[in-house]
Amino acid sequence: MAAPVNIQTPSKTWELSLYELHRTPQEAIMDGTEVAVSPRSLHSELMCPICLDMLKNTMTTKECLHRFCSDCIVTALRSGNKECPTCRKKLVSRRSLRRDSNFDALISKIYPSRDEYEAHQRRVLERLNRLHNKEALSSSIEEGLRQQARYRSERNHRVKKQTQESDNTTFSGGEDNGDARSHLSHDSAPSHTPNPRGQTPSEAGPSRKRPRASDDGSGPEVDSGSPTPPLRRHNEGPASEIELVFRPHPQLVQAQDYNQTRYVKTTANATVDHLSKYLALRIALEDRGREEEGGEERPADTGEGGEGSSLCNISEKQYTIYIMTRGGQFSTLNGSLTLELVNEKYWKVRKPLELYYAPTKDQQQPPPQQPQKSPAPQREG
Amino acid sequence: MASQNMDPVAAAAASTAALKGSEGSGSAARGSVSKRLQQELMTLMMSGDKGISAFPESDNLFKWVGTIDGAQGTVYEGLRYRLSLEFPAGYPYQAPRVKFVTPCFHPNVDEQGFICLDILKDKWSALYDVRSILLSIQSLLGEPNNESPLNMAAAELWDDQPAFKAQLHSTFQK
Repeated sequence: MAAPVNIQTPSKTWELSLYELHRTPQEAIMDGTEVAVSPRSLHSELMCPICLDMLKNTMTTKECLHRFCSDCIVTALRSGNKECPTCRKKLVSRRSLRRDSNFDALISKIYPSRDEYEAHQRRVLERLNRLHNKEALSSSIEEGLRQQARYRSERNHRVKKQTQESDNTTFSGGEDNGDARSHLSHDSAPSHTPNPRGQTPSEAGPSRKRPRASDDGSGPEVDSGSPTPPLRRHNEGPASEIELVFRPHPQLVQAQDYNQTRYVKTTANATVDHLSKYLALRIALEDRGREEEGGEERPADTGEGGEGSSLCNISEKQYTIYIMTRGGQFSTLNGSLTLELVNEKYWKVRKPLELYYAPTKDQQQPPPQQPQKSPAPQREG
Repeated sequence: MASQNMDPVAAAAASTAALKGSEGSGSAARGSVSKRLQQELMTLMMSGDKGISAFPESDNLFKWVGTIDGAQGTVYEGLRYRLSLEFPAGYPYQAPRVKFVTPCFHPNVDEQGFICLDILKDKWSALYDVRSILLSIQSLLGEPNNESPLNMAAAELWDDQPAFKAQLHSTFQK
């Protein structure tokens, strides 16, 4: 009191937690790197904890930064304590909240068609309603759980030939309402059904008009808060997943061409062919997207005509997948190998599997093997 | 506010009144409550928590039956309790009414099965759900709040755990 000199010394100090003192900012990914995130892992981020639905007109608390739908938080504040429902921090009024339009934009980028999403939700709940009598519901849930268990154990005791189960292979998590775009179309087992032609991989892409959230370089990446952590191998339990880093073959691919590093997460029983086909599809879509960007911005869906036809030719033969062996050589991977096997056979270390890809040369040509050591500059997390 | 010991009809009326003007028509509000309850049901079935379970009692999604197993290492170990949960139209902004159906000898549970637990009253938050309620009650069993007992006899006996356990098990009826 008696020392007015010290007026600068604030009575309130900002005490930083240990975490805040030591943390270093996450580096932004600026080089066009693509990160695949499963819709399941995003779900909890995009969900309003009050209505358990996808956030709508997001409001964020100014101090504690928790998010809610506008309607939900307003009702909560009106009918309950004046505190954050998540952490009990005091919320005096609506003015303790701010509109979070960035987050809304992010959501609409991931789920461009909210109506579609909501219609899906409604269908699911309606189905649940119809089965609502107790027996039916519990037996159907049990059935579901049983199927899941069976599915897991199948994946676990995976037979070496994956033929009968190729239908179990999904890329990056399998939530049915999710982002179909990142699912590998797994309806044809490439090594055994030689007719990829008829199988337009329509479910995987443009017919659904899902703009890619990460590859156009604008706006924040979708990997909210996890730029590097996706590189983790989930080994817990039977539902094993493999994460892999996917780079262009440093010698066979020109720097200009689709020189992206891709991060993919998929089930361990996916085969090299699956991966290859997925890649072919992605690249075809990207080329297409680039062409379109030249013109108007995202034209209305032009149906399946015109450039859509190029997608019919997608095949696992278009790209060859390589792995670097210990000597620094690139060796071609057989298409029927499962990723799990590749992992066991060639990789072994507890790091995400690193693979390389290049367009397939004409079958005649022997795969050029250049014993050179320097792979492309690597981004390591 | 949302008192546990309220007459259900009056409570329902109160909650409707509380929501009047904020929500649209009653049926729309009811729709969103059902939706949330269905979501909860799905997560609850999928999560496979040990020692708790809950399910709608009949066709009425607003009335559930839950079970809680006494936690290991507590005097309640090996005992299973049934509870009833009733959801007001203002759920999740208002707490559900939760009470023991199985008689429960516990400092914070009265003879009618009413539970004295702050998160079911003034500490309720819209983020709580059936799962967190049941888990909270499960942990309340092992760690009663003897400051504000509803059952004085149980509160006094609590410190003598062997005697409490003997009393608990001799009076337990499913």
